[in-house]
Amino acid sequence: MSSSSKNLNGLEVSKMEDFVKEIRTKPDVVKNTNGPWRSRVTWQGGLKAKAYMRNHTVTFDEPEGLGATDTSASAHEHLLSAVGACMMTGFVYQGTLKGVKIHNCEIALEGTFGDIRNWAGLTDEGTPGYPEIKAKLYVKADSDRKTIERLWANAWKHSVVTQTVARGAKIIPSLEVL
Amino acid sequence: MAKSQLFPVTVVGSWPRPQWLIQALRKRQAGEISFDEFNTTADDAVLAAIKYQEDANVDIVTDGEQRRDNFYSFVVEKLDGVKLMTLTELMDYMKDRASFEETLRALDVPAFAMRSPVAVDRVRRKRHLALDEFEFLKSHTTRKTKVPIPGPYMLTRSMWFPGLSDKAYPVIEDLGRDVCSIVRDEIVALKEAGCDFVQLDEPVLSQVVYGSEGEETFMCAALASRRDPTEELRYAVELMNLTVKGISGVKLGIHVCRGNWSRREDVLLRGNYGPLLPYLMEMKIDQLVLEFATPRAGELEVFKEYRGEKEIGLGIVNPRSTTVEQPKSIERRVKEATRYFEPSQVYLNPDCGFGTFAERPVNDAETAYGKLRSMGTAASNLRKAWDGRANP
Ligand SMILES: [Zn+2]
Repeated sequence: MSSSSKNLNGLEVSKMEDFVKEIRTKPDVVKNTNGPWRSRVTWQGGLKAKAYMRNHTVTFDEPEGLGATDTSASAHEHLLSAVGACMMTGFVYQGTLKGVKIHNCEIALEGTFGDIRNWAGLTDEGTPGYPEIKAKLYVKADSDRKTIERLWANAWKHSVVTQTVARGAKIIPSLEVL
Repeated sequence: MAKSQLFPVTVVGSWPRPQWLIQALRKRQAGEISFDEFNTTADDAVLAAIKYQEDANVDIVTDGEQRRDNFYSFVVEKLDGVKLMTLTELMDYMKDRASFEETLRALDVPAFAMRSPVAVDRVRRKRHLALDEFEFLKSHTTRKTKVPIPGPYMLTRSMWFPGLSDKAYPVIEDLGRDVCSIVRDEIVALKEAGCDFVQLDEPVLSQVVYGSEGEETFMCAALASRRDPTEELRYAVELMNLTVKGISGVKLGIHVCRGNWSRREDVLLRGNYGPLLPYLMEMKIDQLVLEFATPRAGELEVFKEYRGEKEIGLGIVNPRSTTVEQPKSIERRVKEATRYFEPSQVYLNPDCGFGTFAERPVNDAETAYGKLRSMGTAASNLRKAWDGRANP
């Protein structure tokens, strides 16, 4: 099989290699790929929301305990998933470039609120968010443990979402009342 | 029963598989070798399993389930219309995914590692479930033989999955009838081939009773759509009796344990057999093969009301522990059992297999062998004690 038609882990390797070459050599491609990236979140009544990202949508809701309807996962659960999915992207991407065949891959994430009373506005103490997020990778791949460990370490060190969360992105709010 | 034949020693089924057999099994699962090629390799493993049992003075031997990946999903090789699916594939069809998430967390396993056979079409026999295993066993031992096969309730429960099975089987009862007839044919075939003891494995029954929601453990997908426990247990009795109706000339047993997937006692289910006994007693089978080697299983006293109604396959050694039980302690427990059973009704066996899941055996062969030997010694001492005395 020629390298130009090689498919590994469901990915076209030559396309991936081309992309890496492009961002290594072409500043305008880097600029365009950097963004901006966008999401528009619309209210759907109750605590339901729908987010539009390019031509994709995701829905949000809150558990019934909160008086909501629990039709979708909560925003903070989506965040856990986004952290996991982004790490997985990095792991699979880098693994594929290194020629590692991945048979199965799964990440289990978990976080516990600092203090739900802070979220409810009952106190300013502590944080309403997750002070830490646990992420465990289960993987079955044709590779030695050392290589997999390195890929996993890079997967979170170089993950867009993980680093956004870990470094605490500056939020710039603004408002318009209609 | 002659006193020299009292307290037969037997096993529940599985024996730890050698590493080379596991390698071959992986190749078979990846489709790299054929069913026959795998079985040729497995022949040698079966011979070793038989040798261990014979050397330990086991009276009724099995083939160590060496040809199976575990005690139930091996049926995908034997049946048409059944597909082995991972939990990842089943996730979208599950009603209560949140409780399965709890299970995966508790077991610390990924969804892709858990598999279940699912009926995706009419289920028909492609090969005998265990006749081939038995014929090889029979031709290589002069001891009495036991063949464990998955029970009709466990098979039906684990294979019927809403969204996947309902095209072929609109309701679970439709699948249940086909499963009963397949299992029944197998028992008859085994009997005609000269098998002495067929054991029907129904470990799921303990989960029906003791597993609270979010505790779907080793048979994860099996209980995806269970009803209330009483209804489930009645259904299990119905399926069992439909399966074994009118069969005679072979000893029939049912094995119920609380899971054998971990060496950690605290994660396995607990609770005495009391709530299950009324249902087990209704089943037209000869022997209850139960675990009594750990405190989790509760006391033998639960049999007070059912004195002598059935034989007991008394779980007397813990398949998961590293220490080998002393014959003296085994003898004490057997004597206790004779308060509720006639001596001729008591069989000695471990609580469960030593290698229920091929890739996760709960013990090594040498320790398992030590445990079998202890049972053999205890049985021999007990026979001597009973010799010429009514009640030692
Ligand atoms: Zn068992």
